[in-house]
Amino acid sequence: MNMMKKSVSGRAPWLICTLAAALTAAALRKWQLASAFEPDTGLSIPMAPASVTLACLLVMAAAWFLILTTYQPVSKRPWTVGQAHRWDMVFLDAGDPVYPILVVLAAFVAVASVPLLLKTGIGQWQAYRAAIAAKDQPPSNNGVLTIATAVGALLAFLGLLQMGRDGLHAGRRGKGGFAAALPGVAGCIWLMESFRGHAANPVRWDYAPQLIAIVCGMLLYMDFAGMSAGAARPRRLLWLAAMTAVMSASALVSAAAWKGWADVLLLTAQTLTAAAVLWRLPPNLENPPKLKGTPAPRSSGEAGRQEETTDE
Amino acid sequence: MENWETKVEEGQNPEELQPGQTPSEEGGEQSGAKLRREASDGRDLYLNMRILVMMMGTFVMLFTFVARIIVVSGPSMENTLFGGDLILVWSVGYTPKQGDVVVLTQENYQEDSIVKRVIATAGQQVDVDYDANAVYVDGVALEEDYIKEQMFVPHYGEGINHVTVPEGYIFVMGDNRNNSADSRYPDIGLVDTRCVIGHGLMVLFPFHHWKGL
Repeated sequence: MNMMKKSVSGRAPWLICTLAAALTAAALRKWQLASAFEPDTGLSIPMAPASVTLACLLVMAAAWFLILTTYQPVSKRPWTVGQAHRWDMVFLDAGDPVYPILVVLAAFVAVASVPLLLKTGIGQWQAYRAAIAAKDQPPSNNGVLTIATAVGALLAFLGLLQMGRDGLHAGRRGKGGFAAALPGVAGCIWLMESFRGHAANPVRWDYAPQLIAIVCGMLLYMDFAGMSAGAARPRRLLWLAAMTAVMSASALVSAAAWKGWADVLLLTAQTLTAAAVLWRLPPNLENPPKLKGTPAPRSSGEAGRQEETTDE
Repeated sequence: MENWETKVEEGQNPEELQPGQTPSEEGGEQSGAKLRREASDGRDLYLNMRILVMMMGTFVMLFTFVARIIVVSGPSMENTLFGGDLILVWSVGYTPKQGDVVVLTQENYQEDSIVKRVIATAGQQVDVDYDANAVYVDGVALEEDYIKEQMFVPHYGEGINHVTVPEGYIFVMGDNRNNSADSRYPDIGLVDTRCVIGHGLMVLFPFHHWKGL
């Protein structure tokens, strides 16, 4: 058991497995788009090999990441001066630029979707108003949810910027992760907007991967926030980060194929955040960042694993 | 928030704190209690937000894979359903059956979904007789106590009124036969079963229309 734990410790297994699963999912989704839908009607072909393979891959990836989380070593860190919660500092590593670069990049990718969403939403709103004024049947989408999604993307930008800063700057670490709740809540609006756009679509394969990707992203952000809000679920956070990356890769292919550029940007933003979490969290869970005046973590291994979620 | 990091930034030497030292050991019980209290406030807010996000995710996943709530628009299903009615639609594992109220999408007619009743399924022969005000399925007249009024020939002509439903398709009609674009209408025609979103189970709202379908 110890050998197994040692062999999967660190960030490498997470990053390699997630990258492999994400690339495979994207390739399968591309194959599915090319072969699993009838060209004239767009209806899905029952039991198409690409659809079945993609579904199997996603289930297997979810199971494999569950296994990885089980063997993820987690240290038990004692209460120390200045800590509001035990996992407050788990994303802190002042000497590592990768995490803040990824998260700040995610912030700017998210904010790049705002003008696209606003343009679409305002266009839909104007068309809706014009139809009402002309006493025609108004379009079912009045654009309000799209505009709200743009506002949410702006909130996500602010939250992600703060998250990136918290990863470098020690002065805010007591509450910093809470900023992640902003993109989490913004994800709710995006989820509603995405579902609204497909509410009458009988082909679930058209939109289910994107909806699942958004849900994974929302939960990822909320669990990230929970790390500094006394509701830590470090292993679940890792699992969600990996699944967010895999599901987003799959959804990215279809969003790009259908020229949904705002969705492409938002999916890319949450993929970058997931990558940042997978980069920093596994090694920091195993060996929490050392700060002056604080003791070394007590131990890693069995005891730590049992104590993982006692922060709540 | 006054915390350890703030003290460090203000120039206090963190090495003065002994390893394992806690605020209470330092004589800082008050600041420790304050820290915990502030953390507790944040935790409550966080937990409320997490519930909101989880509920949203759960609802959308349920609506996507299990059941949906659809708002009826238009008079085509009167007097069974009226415009503005909210109906619960069951999606998972549903196979259309004769007599069921279904929600479907026919994109060559309109992008939004429509609500109709299944008149015939694969292999059945449908004959619509306007003179006799009757619909025959496999030669047997249906007992249709749900239709609004006597049928007349639609403005587009008799349309598709004698047809055998092929495998994988259904023939649907609205209960308000004189004001319904349904399988008789050539733009809609026979409906691929894959276009069916689900089976209307019940009217949820308004409450005075509450009933099973």
